[in-house]
Order: sequence, then C-alpha cells, then structure tokens
Amino acid sequence: MPPRPPALIMRLAAVTAINIAANLMINGVGCGSAGGRSDSVGAMPDSGYPWPISMTRLDNGLRVVVSEDRTAPAVAVNLWYDVGSRHEPAGQTGFAHLFEHLMFEGSMHVAKTEHMKLVQGAGGSLNATTNPDRTNYFETVPAEHLELALWLEADRMGGLVPALTQETLDNQRDVVKNERRQRYENVPYGDAWLRLLPLLYPPGHPYHHATIGSMADLNAADLATFQAFHQTYYAPNNAVLTVVGDTGVDEVVALAEKYFGALPARAEIPPAPDGRVVPATGVPATETVVTDVPAPRVYVAHRTHPFGSSGYDVVTVLATVLGSGRGSRLYQRLADGERIAQPDLVGAYGVDLAHAPAPLIATATARTGVGAERLAAGLAEVVDELATVPVTAAELDRAKALLTTAWWRQMSTVDGRADALGRYATQFGDPATVADRLPAWLAVTADQIAEAAAEVLAADDRVTLIYHAEEKS
Amino acid sequence: MTLIADRPGPGAARPYRFPQVVRRDVAGGQVVAAHLPGQNLAVALLLLDAGAGREPVGSEGLGGVLAKALEEGTAQRDATAYALAIEALGTELVTGLDWDTFQASVQVPVDRLGAAVELLAEAVRTPKLDPEDVRRVRDDEATALRMDWANPGPRADAVLRADLFGVDNRWGRPMYGTPDSVAALDVEDVTVFHSEWFIRPGTLVVVGDLDRIDLDALAASAFAGTVGGPVDRGAPIEVPLHANRRIILVDRPGSVQSTLRLGHPAPHRAHPDYVPIALAGTVLGGAFTSRLNHLIREVRGYTYGIRGDFASSRRFGRFAVSSGVQTAVTAPALVEAVGEIARTQAGGVTEDELAVARSWRAGQLSVELQSPRAIAGALTTLVVHDLPDDYHARLRESLLAADVAQVSAAAAAHLHPESLTLVLEGDAALIRDELAATGLGDLIDHAPTA
Repeated sequence: MPPRPPALIMRLAAVTAINIAANLMINGVGCGSAGGRSDSVGAMPDSGYPWPISMTRLDNGLRVVVSEDRTAPAVAVNLWYDVGSRHEPAGQTGFAHLFEHLMFEGSMHVAKTEHMKLVQGAGGSLNATTNPDRTNYFETVPAEHLELALWLEADRMGGLVPALTQETLDNQRDVVKNERRQRYENVPYGDAWLRLLPLLYPPGHPYHHATIGSMADLNAADLATFQAFHQTYYAPNNAVLTVVGDTGVDEVVALAEKYFGALPARAEIPPAPDGRVVPATGVPATETVVTDVPAPRVYVAHRTHPFGSSGYDVVTVLATVLGSGRGSRLYQRLADGERIAQPDLVGAYGVDLAHAPAPLIATATARTGVGAERLAAGLAEVVDELATVPVTAAELDRAKALLTTAWWRQMSTVDGRADALGRYATQFGDPATVADRLPAWLAVTADQIAEAAAEVLAADDRVTLIYHAEEKS
Repeated sequence: MTLIADRPGPGAARPYRFPQVVRRDVAGGQVVAAHLPGQNLAVALLLLDAGAGREPVGSEGLGGVLAKALEEGTAQRDATAYALAIEALGTELVTGLDWDTFQASVQVPVDRLGAAVELLAEAVRTPKLDPEDVRRVRDDEATALRMDWANPGPRADAVLRADLFGVDNRWGRPMYGTPDSVAALDVEDVTVFHSEWFIRPGTLVVVGDLDRIDLDALAASAFAGTVGGPVDRGAPIEVPLHANRRIILVDRPGSVQSTLRLGHPAPHRAHPDYVPIALAGTVLGGAFTSRLNHLIREVRGYTYGIRGDFASSRRFGRFAVSSGVQTAVTAPALVEAVGEIARTQAGGVTEDELAVARSWRAGQLSVELQSPRAIAGALTTLVVHDLPDDYHARLRESLLAADVAQVSAAAAAHLHPESLTLVLEGDAALIRDELAATGLGDLIDHAPTA
C-alpha cells in the first residue's frame, strides 16, 4: 500500500539508478533524520562532520577513506568512480548508466545474479546510481560481512570484462529502455529534465545530454564498446573506496590491500570535455510544449556555479529561501499570496553538479483556471526579486535551519556519510573537506544572495520550459 | 592472478541491539520513546487513532484534507506565521496517514524539540479551520489527487482495491480518496472529523538522546487540552476470495508501458503466520533476486522492476504484485507473472531462496533502522500493533528460525492464483485482444469515470 508521495518539490530525474529499491517497509515511516555531535545547531558549528576521517592511497592509486563509528553493528561500503555521462561522446549517450547495470550481472568469480543474492543474503541493502558527474556503487551490510562486500567490489572492478556477454548486454539494454519509458516517457512532465539540459548547455558541452541517453544510442550499443569502457574508466586510480561504520582504519586498509591491491593502475584515463566555462547567451531561451498533462507547469532554470564553490554555497541558501517549505518566497507569493500555483508543487533547488556551472531550477504548476503565461510571469517575478528585494534575517535563519536539519539527516546513517565522503574525496581530493560545507552555508549573508541573484539569475540568460495542457477533443 | 578467487566468509556476528524503549503514561496520554545516546537530532511523532479506516464511506480523503488544513493557521497565529515559526526551528510539520493511524511529526536538533512539539500540538489540537481556508485546501487537495492520477498507477490501484474489498466498504476505496470524493467534502465533514478524532490524546513517539529530552514536558505540550480516550478499533474483517480469476482493463491511451496490479485479499497483521507469510512474499517478489524480478526483469527484460508482497493493517491485508512493462509484451509478462505465483503456491520455496530471504529481512533490522526517523517508525509499529519492547529482537529470531516447511505451507495457504484480480492499465486498443487470448480469466473493461 504505497503512500502517495508528499513531493513538496518534484525533483527532476537527474540521477538514474538500478532500481533495487525493494527496501522493506519494515515499519511504514521512511526517511532519515539526523545525528551528529556538534554544539547546538543554533550556534555556528565548527564542523559538519564530527567523526574521524582517514584517507590512504594504495600503490595502484585507489584511495581508501575510512570513518569509524561503532554506534550500530553495520558498515557502509561505497565506491565512487570518476566517470559519468559527461564522459560520453556523441552517439554513446546513456552508456555510463547502462554500464552501471552491467556491473551487477556477474564478474570473474561472481556468477550472473549472484551479486545481489550475496549482498541481500547477507542482510544488506545495495544500489548504484549514475549522474552526469560520476557513478557510485554502494551497499550497507551487517558489520561481519564487510569482507564479502569488498571482495565483490574488487571482483567487478578488476574482473568484469571476462564475464560480460552479449546476452547480458541485450537483457540490461531492455531493462534500461524500460527504465526510460517508466520514468521519462510514461509520466506527465517526465521529459522536463531531458528538455532543460540542452537549453542550459550547448552542443558538445558534457552536460548537454541526459544520463539516461537516447533510445537510438542505447539500441546501437555494442559489446566491445562496453568492454573498452570498463578498461578505460574502472581502474583503481579512478575510484574512491569509502567504508563507514563498525570497523576501523587498520582493518579496512588491510582488506583493501588484500582485495584491490594487486589490480593494476591505468596509465592514461581520458578526461571528459572541459565544461567549466559556459558563455552567457544574453538571450533568454524558452521552450513551449503542448502535450497531455493535467495542468500547465513552468520550469525556470539558470546556470550558476559548480557544486563545491563558494558561489554555489550561496546558491544553495538562495534556493532554500526561494523554494523550500511553506515559508519560502515561491510558496508565500504564488501558492499562498496570489494563489496561482498548486501548493504541493512549487519549489526550487540546485542540482549538485561539480564540473560546470550547476543548474538552479524553480518550478510551479498552475492552479485550476490559471494560464501558463500568467504562471510563468509570476515565477519569473519572484526569481527576479531575489536581486532587488533584500532577503530578511528571518528568511535567512529559516533557510539555514532547514539546511542544517537536511545536513544532519544525511549524516544520520553510515550510508549517507559514506557517500558524502566519497564525493568530497573524488571531487575535491580530500574527504575531510566534507566538514566545511555546513559552516559555509551558515556563513552566507543576505548581501551575497542579492549579489549572486544579480550575477547568475539575470532574465536575459534564463531558460524557461512551459508545459501547456493540450485541448482534449 | 590479481583477484582473489575465494569468497570470504562472515566475521564474528555482532549482537543485535534495538535502542532502549521507555514507556510512560503522562498527562492523560502515552509516551513511547527510544534512547539514542549522542544523537544531536531528535524526532517527535504524535500518533492518533485517526487513520483512513476512521473515515466514513463517501468521505474518503478527509484525513488528507484535514492534514493540510492544520497548517492554515491556528488559534494563536495565521498560516504564514505558523510556517515561519516551525521552519525557523529547522523542520516542517510532516503529516502521514495510513489505514490505522494519523501521524504528525517534527525532526529538529535536540535542543529545539520542546519548541517544535509545542508547535506540532498547536496545529493538531487547535487549528483555526476557517471555512474559507478549508474549502480552498479541499480544492487544492482534489487538484493534487487529479495530478497524481494523471500518472499510471493510482487508477489501477483503486480498481484493484475495489475489486478485492468491495467498493461499498471504506477499505475498498483508495486510502487517500479520489479526486471526486475529495472535491465533494464539505467544511463540516472536516471539522467534525477533527473534533471526533484529533483531540483524543493518542501516543507521542520520541526518538533521540533522552538524557537531553524532558519527556514529561513534551507530553504536557502534546496532550494539553485533550479529552476522550481510546475507541474500539474493530475486529479483523473477513474478506471473501473470488471464485474465479478476472482481468480488468483500464484504458490509458498512448501509454508506452502497461501498469500491472495483481492481487487478492490476505491476512491481517496479527495473523499467527505473519513471519512465514512475509518470507514467502520475499521469495516470490520482495528481494531483487525474487522469482518475479529474476524472471520478468533479469531474464526477459520486460520491465525496469516488478515487486510482490503481502501487506497488512490491523483489520485486513492483501497480496499484490506491481510493475510497469513495455506495451508490446504486456500479455506474456502477465502470463509469466501469474505462472510464477501459481508455481510458488503449488511448489513452495527452496532452502537456497529462503536462506537469502530470511538473512535479508533479519539484516535489514540493523541496516535500515539507523536514523531517528526510522526508529520512530519502528516504535510506531509497536504502538499500533500492541507489540512488546523487544519485538524487533524477537522478530529477528523468528525470521532466522523459519524453515522451508513453514514458509512453503504459508505460500500454499495464503497465495491464491485462481482468485487473483489482474488489473492492467495501458493502451487498451493495443493490448485488449492479446489479454483476452491469454485465457487467464474473463476480461472486464473498467468503465471510466467522467
């Protein structure tokens, strides 16, 4: 009896995944809350990560990050591979993600279907996701199965290619095409992300195409390409292994050495195209779609700053002021004030991408009787006002309080922490920088938000996507 | 050779621990709390006996509208002031509804829990419920449901539920109601439902570092001004099985996938076979390696995923399978799914499959019960189903002890492939003929509502 999702913000499908998801409804209430041992969150915390962190580099370049926490008898194992859809050349869109599926289909010493069976049979949860930046693989298991998880990850890092067959590729290609149908094609507004990316990023830019890829490219995928993909990118020196939970540094490093230590490093790993500079167009881009949707909907999107930069920290707070919660400007102005937007479907958020100016997306869906143009104008006006109507102390405190809770919620589980450490090690070279993010958010000022709005939310560099409901005959 | 060929065995198992549970009767209500030493964030959840099962037939969706209306201002402040006050603490008021309960919760740094519970209680106990606001919230909620029903799934779910449980019963209608049932609610329905069910004390679930939490003070806030006591929750409902399998076709022109919802009635939550039933469901459709997912996704490539499980509330339960399959393979996917259910019912499970299922479900009691929010959910289970403090440890032992004979017997007794209702939501013009040709049962076209 699945609950209707509350979905205050309907996040776009920026991440594709393997769909293990059959997580047990052990109890009925989902989601995480948070832990952490900083001082009162009302005060400025010194650190967003009050647990130990160590990083060890094996001789083959594999970085091993460990964070011990004996609170619960579980460990999270997480691998970030520094390859995502930004590395895909024209004609091979969707390959990084389809490859992610193949990683669950057996390797040199693991039979087809055995990977899932061994992890779930150990009591664990597992999944993997691909986005434009990277691919991550992760499992959380009762602590006594740590070694099993490392063995499985090493086997598919070092021994996937011999197990890869045409039959497996054909099967997972069909699965991925069904994923595309289910998540993008068969639901109203499901293609919004696919439409926004090419409007935000020009042809040739690594974020121009969506991670799910095109049906034509998926159909054309051949086995040799995937064998080469593994050999090119799935090398120890292109990965970060993170282990968090009921274990220690010495144990993890020794096990990593045992299972991964003999895998050879790759000499040359080709970088993705450089997308850091996206020239402002000076011309707004608007796309209008007339299709079978239940109500008009508008998306406004801007390129901002890369995730991890101080500019993006400001954008993160700005997005929360703009579009998180009933106290946000979008809710107050469009859902409550003018009452032109549906209250459950207004929101704004940044998409945390690190290798180019990351998108900020704001969205609203029209209430009955409200036209798309009026809604688009209202949405644009609220975005414009971020540069002209100063953010009040109360707005700023509200945003920071919500971000603080969200931060500690991710940190409340060993898997949430492991993914964060893997991210910071991969993207910024040092997992300990994870501790800086929350303090950086809390240091953002109202002036910085106004400056950022003037700099990156200019109307002449805006992307607008408008869905009109087609007339039913 | 650079890889190690031999699969490592497990290390020494750590003992299973569920947090210490504290129960207390305070200020006319009950507090159930779990102690998480060192946690900086905390969750408080007010549990009321006001689930969808309490809604009168014809008023489906009442709880959902009332939940939204709680935030439209209180006796003390208007809607905007309320939103700013609670979000300044770092939380939203999170409401939830199932067949047995209504839940309202907050999640905040532990030093703000007192203030957050005061605001929670203010909204739940003393909402303004201005008629104009209630009407607007009702219309918005009807629109939200209409938006949701534009996706594949909700209509098929409703059709399945009605066919299983009877549309004349509340439990035969969607938990959140339909766009039409919500649109038809009036202000008095909402205010009466509030006065009948939302000022009884209920239970306050608290999870966090109890050394830094004053449970008595939280209870005083949560239960202030409450009146009334528990109301009989009703006996389990006997739901008859259908004599014959049937196919119900729900038209969704232009669909590139067909949505499958297959099911039949199943035991309520307190049934003595709960553990073997859950394990049978896990083998058939719960884990990634389940029979259904293995066949329909990993062998055939018909879908991105297919799941099946037994679910139960205090008074009833159901077995259901759900998936979305490519339109062109709708009939073969359906035939194979039904075949797998029948095979499991007739032949039971193997030790190999059961080993995965019981270890997985037992392990999940550690792996998925980490955060305060997840532990609050676990406490909710104890309260709703009258279970003891050591329930999770006992459940773990029962799961690990279940053998092939017990689980196969549960599959034999509680799966009913001949009584399945097979709901297909998709492009009827493309799939009707081949569905009829499967011979799985009579094909009924679901009459669309205006």
